[in-house]
Amino acid sequence: MGSYLIRRLLRTLLVMIGISVVVFAFVRSIPGDPAVAMLGERATPEAAAALREQLGLNKPWFINYKDPAHLFDAQFPKYVGQLVQGNLGSGIKSNIPVRDELAARFPATAELAVAALLFALLIGLPAGVVAALRRNSAWDNLATTISLVGVSMPIFWLGLLLSYFFAVRLGWLPPSARLGNETTLQPLTGFYVLDALLRGQPAAAWDAIRHLILPAIALGSIPLAIIARITRSSLLEVLGQDYVRTARAKGLAGRTVTLKHALRNALLPVVTVIGLQAGALLGGAVLTETIFSWPGLGSWVYDAISQRDYPIIQGGVIFAALVVSVVNLLVDLSYAALDPRIQYR
Amino acid sequence: MKKLLLTALLATLPSAGAATLVFGNNGDPVSLEPGNITDGISIAVQRQIYDTLVDFKDGTTDPIPGLATSWKANANATQWTFTLRKNVKFHDGTPFNADAVVFNVNRWWDKNNAFGFRNQGRTYEIWGQLMGGYKGDATSVLKSVTKVNDSTVRFDLNKPSTVFPSVIGAGYFGIASPTAIRQQGAKYGTPASKPVGTGPFIFQSWRTGDRITLTPNKAYWGAKPKVDSLVVRSIKDASQRLNELKAGTIDFANDLTPDSLKSVQADKNLVAVKRPSFNVGFLSLNNRNQYLKNDKVRQAISMAINKDAIVEAFWPGLGISSASFLPPVLAWANSKNVPADYKFDPQAAKKLLAEAGYPNGFTLDLWYMPVSRPYFPSPKPIAEAMAADLSAIGIKVNLKTEDWAKYLDDRNKEPGFDMYMIGWTGDYGDPDNFYSAYYGPTASDDINWNPAQLEKLLEQGRAAVSQADKAKAYAQIHDITYKANYRIPVVHSNPLAAARTYVKGWVPSPLGSEAFNNISLVGKK
Repeated sequence: MGSYLIRRLLRTLLVMIGISVVVFAFVRSIPGDPAVAMLGERATPEAAAALREQLGLNKPWFINYKDPAHLFDAQFPKYVGQLVQGNLGSGIKSNIPVRDELAARFPATAELAVAALLFALLIGLPAGVVAALRRNSAWDNLATTISLVGVSMPIFWLGLLLSYFFAVRLGWLPPSARLGNETTLQPLTGFYVLDALLRGQPAAAWDAIRHLILPAIALGSIPLAIIARITRSSLLEVLGQDYVRTARAKGLAGRTVTLKHALRNALLPVVTVIGLQAGALLGGAVLTETIFSWPGLGSWVYDAISQRDYPIIQGGVIFAALVVSVVNLLVDLSYAALDPRIQYR
Repeated sequence: MKKLLLTALLATLPSAGAATLVFGNNGDPVSLEPGNITDGISIAVQRQIYDTLVDFKDGTTDPIPGLATSWKANANATQWTFTLRKNVKFHDGTPFNADAVVFNVNRWWDKNNAFGFRNQGRTYEIWGQLMGGYKGDATSVLKSVTKVNDSTVRFDLNKPSTVFPSVIGAGYFGIASPTAIRQQGAKYGTPASKPVGTGPFIFQSWRTGDRITLTPNKAYWGAKPKVDSLVVRSIKDASQRLNELKAGTIDFANDLTPDSLKSVQADKNLVAVKRPSFNVGFLSLNNRNQYLKNDKVRQAISMAINKDAIVEAFWPGLGISSASFLPPVLAWANSKNVPADYKFDPQAAKKLLAEAGYPNGFTLDLWYMPVSRPYFPSPKPIAEAMAADLSAIGIKVNLKTEDWAKYLDDRNKEPGFDMYMIGWTGDYGDPDNFYSAYYGPTASDDINWNPAQLEKLLEQGRAAVSQADKAKAYAQIHDITYKANYRIPVVHSNPLAAARTYVKGWVPSPLGSEAFNNISLVGKK
């Protein structure tokens, strides 16, 4: 187990190095540069050239041996030098260190992703189980239909619809943001629900939860559908296997068989899907956060891409890759816990 | 004891009369440091914290006293002397005076200024764009800035300019506390800082991507704010701004899409607010294209597009079409020889095209922007409408678009776009701001047409002391550009804003942002 972990961590490190290089080259190969994007309608060639020079974007990307003057001030060596020191640079437009902004925005995204995943699991798992147990019943059809709709509905459309219906028409929930205008909360961990509880402000916690509901539904709709479908098919498969029949034959109650024997084994692919969805949640957060004015990573990186804000795109992608790697590692480790036959060496 | 506890509890609750004004801004500011931004989102917040030397009369672009009570020029407008308001203090208690003005101006225009450190090695872009360059540049409008005495500042210019007060009054150039800048150093203006101005509201906190909270400046020299706090929310999505307005979670907001006008009018809790137009959306024709080189072809294109119908269809009640590059508030600078509106005449256009030697037409590219702008909120269908009009006279149009950053880049690269949509929103109330962005030495090179005559007239306009003389210069520019048909104005739009009915006293400025000190909330629940 120990050596497995070390190997996995080393592999993650290699992946991170690869991603750092690829994202550097990638963002610079998107046509249209930050100077022009920042200047907008004012971007005359002269103004853009002047700004490019200020920003150091006129320097070569990589080391050019024929031009020793740019041996060390080329963009890539500078970037690597910063990365080694754990410095992701500063946003071109805002000049705020990427690291600071990441620290401020990641908890918002993480809180939303956790809420979305909770929502997806709480609804998706039981729906999948019911659908499998009552195969071809009305319940099954309903679950299948809903999951189809969930997968095919664009997040931004669903988000606006939810916001309009529940906030504007019914007035049950706030349309967007993380807290109401009257709520003051001194952030601690950045997870507002948690922060409010830690600070002993139950009203603020409730306010934060109310603000979480709609974006979590919007973001959780796709994972919900996928989880429901995987649970259904995986459980159906397991239910048809010999050991389940044996358990039943031994006279065990239906519920025990389903929940203890079958479901536990059926969960393995579901856990894998949850791991894969970690990346999808980060991706979906881009739209959800934009619609719900959620100050997280997604909306921030989205803006940075349209602005060609290289350091932010780089930092955001590297960080997201790290999160996905860590989640996947945790998923792999949890296999062993779910299925004793799986051992890591 | 019980009573004490109750009092303590009540003290933590907002008092019954506490009025919080909540504004839906269309995004997060880039910076709260003046001179360091070019975007309206940042200005909307800065305008609350800082004052500028020159202010503008509510709802107009007419200069009125701001931090300066008066200003006058020498005979040829190369020297401007500003008399400053006395007994004004920054939010940190330090006095506003001539030293503060000189300190701020030097930061903006002197690239080597020790306190321009906010972006090491970077300059304050907008200064260079509006003032022709920086200290030491041959093209710089400003020659020097001097303190005459504590309440008098003198600006010496390299070239005559009568627009100078309007330019220095632009929302970008708020006067910040020199003490605060010295203390906070490079972080000044970032979310981790505490921006300090003399404005009607005092900065409290900034949660990036979310909101900025401000409190009223009880010692404000002008009209004191009528609310207990001001929250500026960052809501990027226009539909969500409308949702928030309808739900009552924000009190007023900018930049709604034109098609939400009906929905706003149908809601009895909301009032639609049309911001005075200070923009132009236009079509640029490229002289490098073999067909578009021909004067008659360009004229035919202009006549073939039914601008009125397009404006009516895409900006119902929220825009006008005119034959001027200048928005209506600057109509005094229009030529009397140019008709107010374009003539829509497809028959005549067809004839012109035949005269030009293309009776069967030809094919052109028309590029539309991939983003929504106040002057073109939905570029694609607008482009489709123009394409349909052009096909009626035999010009076949290929509609094209690409990512915004690349679009802006490619239009200036040879050979550029044949025809493309673009626009402009003004910064200060002078025709110079519109024309010199597209003609003369600082213009885009997108149409390959920039006669020397225009440059001379632009200089004349900037130097003209009386408005009558100014009007003369710009009327000539109007004549020339109208006849040339290289840039065909399509619309001057009124950006749509809206407020809850209890929001009183909001007068939107054509310049895009205004201080909120006159707004009161009457009966907000």
